[in-house]
Amino acid sequence: MSKKDEFYVGYLDEVGTSTRKRLKRFVVAVLLLVLVGAGIFAFSQRPFKNSTFELTQETEIEGIYHESPYPMLKVNLVDKQFKNVILLGFGKSNADPYLQDIKAMAGDIMNKKLKVKGNLIYYNGKTLIQILKPENVTIVSDDVIPLLPVKTVGVDIFEGEVIDPKCYFGVMKPGQGKIHRSCAVRCISGGIPPVLATTDDNAISEYFLLTDLEGKPINEAILPFVGKNLRVNGVVEKMEDWYLLKIDTKGIVYTHKTNVYAANNSCQSDCASLHFREAFARSH
Amino acid sequence: MGLDYQWVLWNKHKKTYDKVIVFSMLLYILVFVGVTLVFKPETSIETLVIRAFGSLAIIMLHVILIIGPLSRLDSRFMPLLYNRRHLGVSMFIAAFIHGGFSLFQFHALGDVNPVYSVFTSNMDYNSLTNFPFQVLGFLALLIFFAMAATSHDFYLKNLSTKTWKRLHMLVYLAYALVIMHVFLGAFQQDSYVATALLLAVGFLVVALLHIVTGIKEVRKTKATKALLEDGWLQVCQVSEIEEDRAKIFTVEKERVAIFKYNGKLSAIHNVCKHQGGPLGEGKIIDGCITCPWHGYQYLPHNGQSPPPFTEKIAAYRLKLVGSQVYINPVALAEGTEVTPIPCNHE
Repeated sequence: MSKKDEFYVGYLDEVGTSTRKRLKRFVVAVLLLVLVGAGIFAFSQRPFKNSTFELTQETEIEGIYHESPYPMLKVNLVDKQFKNVILLGFGKSNADPYLQDIKAMAGDIMNKKLKVKGNLIYYNGKTLIQILKPENVTIVSDDVIPLLPVKTVGVDIFEGEVIDPKCYFGVMKPGQGKIHRSCAVRCISGGIPPVLATTDDNAISEYFLLTDLEGKPINEAILPFVGKNLRVNGVVEKMEDWYLLKIDTKGIVYTHKTNVYAANNSCQSDCASLHFREAFARSH
Repeated sequence: MGLDYQWVLWNKHKKTYDKVIVFSMLLYILVFVGVTLVFKPETSIETLVIRAFGSLAIIMLHVILIIGPLSRLDSRFMPLLYNRRHLGVSMFIAAFIHGGFSLFQFHALGDVNPVYSVFTSNMDYNSLTNFPFQVLGFLALLIFFAMAATSHDFYLKNLSTKTWKRLHMLVYLAYALVIMHVFLGAFQQDSYVATALLLAVGFLVVALLHIVTGIKEVRKTKATKALLEDGWLQVCQVSEIEEDRAKIFTVEKERVAIFKYNGKLSAIHNVCKHQGGPLGEGKIIDGCITCPWHGYQYLPHNGQSPPPFTEKIAAYRLKLVGSQVYINPVALAEGTEVTPIPCNHE
């Protein structure tokens, strides 16, 4: 049968020799494409962070509850060393719905010792906990324990990306950038604290919980800026292992690179006398 | 061709075709997962699923898009076209897993409906850099869903070939949306030359094959010559038509196929009632014109499918003056009997 006479009919078993050869070559080419394509697409991924989300494991932690302005638990690690663990709810929500029962029962729980059970999320020195049920929050003591005052560090300018800490510190990989922007918007819109993640030229990162100038949550106002590279100026405060950055969203400027603490010589004449980087260096 | 509808009218070739599809998809997923776990072990299972199935769907879409032009350029690729619908549905499944996981991962468990979130969580529609690329992927997935859901012959029959064809031509819009979805999303965040190059080459191959096929189609279809008396059009010499094959001509803006078989000539409308396949590229088998795409058959002298099938297409009148073939450009009612003209002197 010549090539011209070969005529394929799907429901007949017969296939011409030339057609059969051509099909075999095509299948081999497709299999090569499959191998090369899978290899290239899989290899061309940025390395992922070694962050952790203990999805299937629940941990119980004990500490002093405070809202500064986002719900946290100040946990005593070792003698006089504390970690402020951010409290989160299930999915893209904050811890508020899970704290209502205990607030209704015990009244004001500020500065009181609580026990919280949930899934830990941690990366780069920061820890968060996801609470799945209101009954996983119990009061340990009615005593009001005073917290150390928040220290003002100064005024400075930072470049970085506004992220939602739940995804960034473990739940998602990647938990930042354009691909993740919509998710971060949903999380922050759901009450999860917005955080400015900055990275310097030496790939050292620092994180700032964002508030408005009065130190109140800024979730709604920050939404248009989430997941983008920004230059932000504000008042830096230190609360043990977390920095707070009080900002006015009107002063936010878009940039093209995610980099650093303040650009060189960014401390303007109206800056506070204490430059953040110097203070940061001393505090570390 | 079928009298009643079944999920799949299985035959030997369809089974082989589907085995190759399943094997290729599994191979892709295994290689993607393997390479990722070896070189990027810190990944998460959700990201692995989203990326593996998303990239698989893109590669499958390219293969689907080149099958059409390849089989027009070389009939030996025709078996790939025969069961392309199964490949299309498989591609939709891969795209759906990618889209479904992404929708859940990025938009579910929040303070608004996930679908509403796709369109509103990023409102930078006026910025190329910040464009909400997930919207593009979502719209492409809707098109793929419509195509997969209507891929069965039941819908082809009930929607009409024309409507079905128009719906399925939306694959080109979906392809454009997918390309933009990838370049404005994943490639903007993880910009690697190799992946961008792979997709650019894929786009060029798809585009070039379509252009070349289009040029060949135009050249292949012969324009009819001057109008002669009594409305008959001169088309060709009998010797120009091969035995059991046809030549295609454009008559009154319609394509008509003139077949030669058993020392006779017959003319019918070139478009198959099934999926609009080019009957003029078919062959006379067992006395029937057989469509090259899916083997639908018609009797050459009346355009009717042999009983018990009921499809009908328009027939045309021919006449022979010496060795010159003439056609009457008026299409007769579908299924009209037309006595074939003898051409025994050839």
